[in-house]
Amino acid sequence: MNGRAITTDVLLGLVPIALLVAVWQGTVSFGLAPATLLPPPGLVFMRMAQQLTSASFNRDILATLLRLFAGFSIAVVLGIAIGLAAAVSPAINAAVRPVVRVLAPLPKVALYPALLLLLGFGHESKITLVAADAMFPILLSTYYGASIVEQKLIWSAMAAGTPPRAILFKVILPAAAPSILTGCRIGLVISCIVVFLAEMITSTDGLGHALITAARTFQAVDMFVPLITISLLGLILNGLLQAARSYLLRGFPEV
Amino acid sequence: MTLRTLIERLAPLLACVGLLTLWQVAALGLNNDSFPTALDSVRAVPAILGDKEALINILASLRRMAIGFAAAVLVSIPLGLLMGRSRGVASFFNPLLMVIYPVPKAALMPIIMLWLGVGDLSKTLVIFLGVSLPVIYHSFEGAKAVEEKMLWSGAAMGLSAMQRLIRIVLPAALPEILTGCRTGLVLALITMVTSEMIARQSGAGNILFNALDMGQYDTVYAMIIIIGAMGICLDAAFERMRERLVRWSEPQFDIPLSFS
Repeated sequence: MNGRAITTDVLLGLVPIALLVAVWQGTVSFGLAPATLLPPPGLVFMRMAQQLTSASFNRDILATLLRLFAGFSIAVVLGIAIGLAAAVSPAINAAVRPVVRVLAPLPKVALYPALLLLLGFGHESKITLVAADAMFPILLSTYYGASIVEQKLIWSAMAAGTPPRAILFKVILPAAAPSILTGCRIGLVISCIVVFLAEMITSTDGLGHALITAARTFQAVDMFVPLITISLLGLILNGLLQAARSYLLRGFPEV
Repeated sequence: MTLRTLIERLAPLLACVGLLTLWQVAALGLNNDSFPTALDSVRAVPAILGDKEALINILASLRRMAIGFAAAVLVSIPLGLLMGRSRGVASFFNPLLMVIYPVPKAALMPIIMLWLGVGDLSKTLVIFLGVSLPVIYHSFEGAKAVEEKMLWSGAAMGLSAMQRLIRIVLPAALPEILTGCRTGLVLALITMVTSEMIARQSGAGNILFNALDMGQYDTVYAMIIIIGAMGICLDAAFERMRERLVRWSEPQFDIPLSFS
């Protein structure tokens, strides 16, 4: 792929986003929608720039990020650990598989009231919800990645006298890394979504709370700002994960 | 049927029973008013399902979910397949999809409510949005991975581009598409619950969160059990259908990826 093709792709990709903003502006300009319901894009972006410098909005962003990172980290650690264990040991596999089959399709948001009653309205319940939701895709892709590691690699390591524990960390984990990172990417998107929802349901701070406050007072402009912010946060975090991926997977044939 | 396959069949059921037992023990141990035992909660389920109004609410939820899901699948699969086969279409839509992916669809509910009201239309629209992204993504990945040689053979035999898309790309991408649909199904349920939580008017989510606000903890936990059971049953039914449709393909993930 040459540089020119990439430039064309990027330009082509910007078209629908530009169109979206244009239609948005057009709808307002031609008076198809009243400005109280659909504020013009310029106003929203200006409000956003103004909010980004305000202390309270920055506190909201930080609260959201804290919950997102805490939940996502727990999900990554637990997901990779359980996924690897299930792929390596048949006994653990037999125990984990049916439990995951039941828990994975369960809508975790429905568990949120129970978490609220048990863990309170603070950070804990939200972090637990994020971790519970983001864990399963990571667990499943770790399990999948680790269970298709080529047996010959493991045999070669054993023939070279590598102890079983070292095989796990030096052979299986790196070989499963592409699949694990794909799972982490899905888990990250889920974390963004879930943390926002949890904050919308009950919270005193965070981006989700900012949206709900705006909705209750019919401030349409302020409703768009948190949504655009979480979309940008998702994009930035996704970019960081992509960078981590190409660093971790340097030397892999195709990523 | 040997004992081994019998145990394998029953394993999910055993897991359910195990989790409920764990819950029972934890509740007895904590002895907390806001955390009833599993037994009490299960006992409250028939009362909800027997109540006519609650039943109508739950069925209304399911109807919205079915409509939103069906519409999303019908739109997303062709779009995903086109994106997978044409570089231009892919680079046209990809950035837009990347921008809207991390936005929680249920969070659009307050804005959509302003335009379309609190009725069925806005809730169905939110479910539609939530389901379409994973289905588009998986159809895209599936269509991208179709072997070129098959398409060349098809072209050599005189199939038009449209026919190639339907007769070669669609079946070849079907396992991946169905993985996306399965994710979408779980997502539809989650979006359904959250959209009803925001627009408290009718539906299963409405019952759940109203009970939470009024402190009827039995109902809260019973609704959690009902919604959980809905998720597990729908998933199992979908899995049956998938096995029939793509018997020729080895399942990649035999447990679904759940989204929110």
